[in-house]
Amino acid sequence: MDENSSARLKRRLLGIVHRIGLFLAMLTICLPGLWIVLSSLRPTVEIMAKPPVWIPQEISFDAYVSMFSGIGKGGIPVIEYFRNSLIISVTSTIIAVAIGMAGGYAFARYRFRGKSSVFLGLMLTRTVPGIALSLPLFFLYVRLGIIDTHFGLILAYVALNVPFTIWLIDGFFRQVPKDLAEAAQIDGCTRWQAFWQVEFPLAGPGIASAAIFAFLTCWNEFALASQLTRSVSAKTLPVGLLDYTAEFTIDWRGMCALAVVMIIPALTLTYIVQKHLVGGLTSGAVKG
Amino acid sequence: MKGFKPSAPFLLLLPAFIVLAAVVVVPLLLSLYSSFTPFRLTKPETFFVFVGLRNYLSILANTDFWWAFGRTVLLLTIALNLEMLLGLGLAMLVEKATRGQRILRTLMMFPMMFSPILVGFQFKFMFNDNIGLVNNALQSLGITQDAIPWLIEGHLAFIAISIAEIWSSTAIFAILILAGLLAMPKEPIEAARVDGCTPWQTFRYVTWPFVMPFAYIAMTIRSLDVARAYDIVKIMTDGGPAGRTELLWTLVARTAYSDGRMGMANAMAYFSILLSIAFTVYFFNKLAAARTQIGAEW
Amino acid sequence: MNRLLSGVSAGALLAFGAGTALAGDLPGKFEGVTVDVKLIGGQQYEKLYERIPEWEKATGAKVNILTKKNGFDIDKELKSDIASGSTNWCVGWNHSSFAPQYTGLYTDLSKLLPKEEIDAFVPSTIKAATIDGKLEMLPRAQFDVSALYYQKSLYENADNKTKFKAKYGYDLVPPDSWKEVTDQAEFFANPPNFYGTQFAGKEEAINGRFYEMVVAEGGEYLDKDGKPVFNSEAGIRALDWFVNLYKAKAVPAGTTNYLWDDLGQGFASGTVAINLDWPGWAGFFNDPKSSKVAGNVGVKVAPKGSSGKRTGWSGFHGFSVTENCPHKEAAASLVWWLTNEDSQKLEAAAGPLPTRTAVWDWDLKQAENDPYKKEVLSAFQEEAKHAFAVPQTPEWIEISNAVYPELQAAILGDKTSKQALDEAAAKATQILQDAGKL
Repeated sequence: MDENSSARLKRRLLGIVHRIGLFLAMLTICLPGLWIVLSSLRPTVEIMAKPPVWIPQEISFDAYVSMFSGIGKGGIPVIEYFRNSLIISVTSTIIAVAIGMAGGYAFARYRFRGKSSVFLGLMLTRTVPGIALSLPLFFLYVRLGIIDTHFGLILAYVALNVPFTIWLIDGFFRQVPKDLAEAAQIDGCTRWQAFWQVEFPLAGPGIASAAIFAFLTCWNEFALASQLTRSVSAKTLPVGLLDYTAEFTIDWRGMCALAVVMIIPALTLTYIVQKHLVGGLTSGAVKG
Repeated sequence: MKGFKPSAPFLLLLPAFIVLAAVVVVPLLLSLYSSFTPFRLTKPETFFVFVGLRNYLSILANTDFWWAFGRTVLLLTIALNLEMLLGLGLAMLVEKATRGQRILRTLMMFPMMFSPILVGFQFKFMFNDNIGLVNNALQSLGITQDAIPWLIEGHLAFIAISIAEIWSSTAIFAILILAGLLAMPKEPIEAARVDGCTPWQTFRYVTWPFVMPFAYIAMTIRSLDVARAYDIVKIMTDGGPAGRTELLWTLVARTAYSDGRMGMANAMAYFSILLSIAFTVYFFNKLAAARTQIGAEW
Repeated sequence: MNRLLSGVSAGALLAFGAGTALAGDLPGKFEGVTVDVKLIGGQQYEKLYERIPEWEKATGAKVNILTKKNGFDIDKELKSDIASGSTNWCVGWNHSSFAPQYTGLYTDLSKLLPKEEIDAFVPSTIKAATIDGKLEMLPRAQFDVSALYYQKSLYENADNKTKFKAKYGYDLVPPDSWKEVTDQAEFFANPPNFYGTQFAGKEEAINGRFYEMVVAEGGEYLDKDGKPVFNSEAGIRALDWFVNLYKAKAVPAGTTNYLWDDLGQGFASGTVAINLDWPGWAGFFNDPKSSKVAGNVGVKVAPKGSSGKRTGWSGFHGFSVTENCPHKEAAASLVWWLTNEDSQKLEAAAGPLPTRTAVWDWDLKQAENDPYKKEVLSAFQEEAKHAFAVPQTPEWIEISNAVYPELQAAILGDKTSKQALDEAAAKATQILQDAGKL
């Protein structure tokens, strides 16, 4: 009896500790982000204040209104940037995931000569620092005439993301027991069908997380985009952030507002996609 | 090549090869070549002057470079390890939560939505010694009366940069480790509990070996990707003041574009590639070991 | 070889075109011509581009905007263009501090535009835009030089006045020499809540501030042979000014990491008494939505150094025409259009400083009913008379990058001013030698 209640007490205590820990962790994660959101809604005089103004005195959407009000009135071509970002990120994510699925499947399911060195080689392409790539890439792109185009940036982003989509997806395919697909093949499926009907759904979470990664990488990438794009026809949102800086001045509130415009779709997408992280998961049935 | 019949894995990998060759390998060869020239951006003719290993030799003798090199290794080591620990903790906290999983998971990934240059500005203003959020908070709470020069004093600046970097990247570890935790079969844990294992033992001998490969995957991905931190450091301190936070990337980028000494910058970049390769190969081996430990191919 | 050939043919075209341009002909007719341009982007700079369609209508030509991006990125792009030989676009962004680096990229505008149009600009800017005898750019109304912003109330406070007089033996008025700035900054400072002044502490920002201080102390940065001589007595005095303020804690401890954005936000937060800053902030400082000191801002010409010279490091944005442009006449006409009186009025109306003499007068007249704007403009007009550009060497930015860490080391106390400057001068000399300049 005594033991029982102390165990219950302990569990409840642990539960509370867990909840507090979780709360603190989330707070740390969200505070810097919320500061950005607040900064976009408050006049600069309150944000960069000393003594600090902790409780917002004045909330307004001025920064958002002026963002859309056109050049010369504090506006920037946010619609165009948004469109470019969306096209480039979505397309390159889809391609990178497709290539990653093919590659990951090859590594997880086939044995071939030099497998691990090929794998390592693929990964190592990622170690090349952007700075060593940016100028030669610029040379090539100018020669090919794909500078400042969606295509050029999509190509670069696919290459940027392929190594780790392959890696992630490989890892998750390995987790899907081989016998499942083999069983399906014995049941009369082709390898192709077995892949789509058995292995693909089971590797779902891996593919979903690879896709989220790839998307967010593209959505936020700055260094290559600033080098390979030039005008509103291809500039992406991160590059657009710098529209709020001039040589000697910065419009921090405007920048925060644009940042919020960037964050909302990414957050929404993550919210939608993350359920597939578990959605494809099989509870007991698979492993049993 | 007659009668060459491409195998299935070759065909499957072909698209990856093509893309990477076009975007990475070809430019890489160009920049490798230029590291043997005194190439200056504003003097295109210097691209054709071959000076052999001169750039590399002058780097070997450059103490600033080696300080930056050492500092980069230190930052990588500290940041990656802390990110992994925090990521693991976070993933476990989230996994244990009974309600609000969707929200929690989305919030957990919140920092990943921030473009690195934004993170740079954000933390620069937060760590501003005079009007920054951090000092304001510390002063309001009465913890200190001083304006702590976060981005000036060598160690503090290093810490501030690490915090920004860790804040923005822990999510990657957390989400991958969480995916591992979710993919983990529940029976071994039940079995361990039935056998009377303490939570720590369960974690140490059941959970950890299972999520370790995921942690190493994350580690390797991150070690490949850390140059992303360049944007953050560039805006927060740009290696300053007085070179106290100079990292390889800030040094290389300044040499390359601001000074326009592309040949030299590329030679430096190749040293940093060696560093990345070392990190990657190390984690790759760790990963392989971790995989063998829990039964080769699953 | 190719470049050489196109250079020759461009030269021939020039010889042919020269002398035909008359002021009355501008903007001219260029039916069917397309001009490719690369412009600086960002809120402050883009309003002017609304005038481009009017030029298209007047001339029948088309303008194709290839690039519109932030200053540092466009600098990178121009260098990448030079490196890859893709310079057959026409009109490009230029800046007086960056211009000497782009050797061979831009052509001489004085051969393409009538003299009376060029004479309408403030002569010192034309001088700064002329590199090796070639007029490489026409300045737009984005002229930058710094003046002193200060909190008026501090100087009106009777208590401050008596205390200051007792301590330093002279009246507390807005400073006219850098020595007075030091005294007052130390007097006002009350760290960590309030600081006397602040300065930009990194990259070319601190180097520029140091450069103007060297000049104000009567020294030179590079001598007439282009040799770095900033480690002179004057140079040491100049650097000591920064070092002493830092030591006295009259500036925020973070100042060596500050760039322009931090400085502007700092002064606007009301925690800094005196602030040497750019004209771009004038509106921001006096806007109650962005600044705590709104209504309390005074502006004064930059103080003198011990030599009696005022600081006046300046720079300006402008437009240039490339050497390889196939339609130089049309390009020059566009450059003229974007820098003509109407264009400068349009830009100046939003705050930035003009570079045409006539527009200065117009600007001052516009401000007649706005005392703050009038104060700002008169201060900057006075300051513009003392303005000087950076030394015209292509290695300027590279020297800057080598020098600034040494300046920071001295300010933070890692080295003495002399040590730091000797080492910086050695590095700068090395850079110039490597470039074959010494």
